[in-house]
Amino acid sequence: MRTVLLDNEAVKALADANHPKHRTVVAHLQGVTSRRRKGTPSRAVVATAVRVEAGWDRSEPGSAAINRYRVEDAALDAASANVAAALVSRTGVSVADAHIGAVIRSLVGDEVVVLTSDPDDMVRVSTPRPITAVRI
Amino acid sequence: MDDLSVLDRINALLDADDESTVNTSMRLPVALRDAAALAVDQLQVAASTTNLTATALRAALETAVMEAALEAHYAQHPGARPTLAEVAQALAAQDGSPLADQRQLLDQAAAELLARHPEADADDVLLWAEAQQAAVRHTA
Repeated sequence: MRTVLLDNEAVKALADANHPKHRTVVAHLQGVTSRRRKGTPSRAVVATAVRVEAGWDRSEPGSAAINRYRVEDAALDAASANVAAALVSRTGVSVADAHIGAVIRSLVGDEVVVLTSDPDDMVRVSTPRPITAVRI
Repeated sequence: MDDLSVLDRINALLDADDESTVNTSMRLPVALRDAAALAVDQLQVAASTTNLTATALRAALETAVMEAALEAHYAQHPGARPTLAEVAQALAAQDGSPLADQRQLLDQAAAELLARHPEADADDVLLWAEAQQAAVRHTA
């Protein structure tokens, strides 16, 4: 399974059709759909702390469009909160980025791609787990 | 119910935390049912034929909803629709392929491919571009 994780910037770009990176992120989502159509397991996922940072409230009417893309939530449960807290302490990244790191660690066996404005931070929170950090 | 309401309703049903089951009147070809049963028993492709059927149906529905949601978005925002080359470039980046940095080659491959095969997809573009690179190396 390929899991494509969205960071704060990727979520903002996906949510706003006028965002300069909107089309780029949509192209990635279209790619996920294209691969699924061909039978290759692939999905888009967002860490819930990233949703908080990006202001994506699924219950808001304004989120109706982005909710339709079936970007799955990865919840900040007790176990991932512990991992994220350790990452914040060790690397000084934001809570949202640390949650992405915790999600990456939980995706055992998945091929992980992160759409991000800061690939270096994503590598920092995922090390030693190999990922593909794609700059948007 | 309009198209967007249909998508929202399907999404809500797919996300529902509902473990209840129902006997359906869905009619399957007998050979397909037998093939599924054999695959479950002998190839362990799923825990049961019910599980195999439900998983495949869910995946198909999710993909259909994602495609329909994107198409609805493009209808409202035509400028948001990525070109075939842009989708190919996105997939190349996800794959970690060096083709992700060769936008001109992907644009050219997409244009040539669409002229011959209008139904081509992004993976076809990547394959076409890779084949062209190999041909150039071979003749050099």
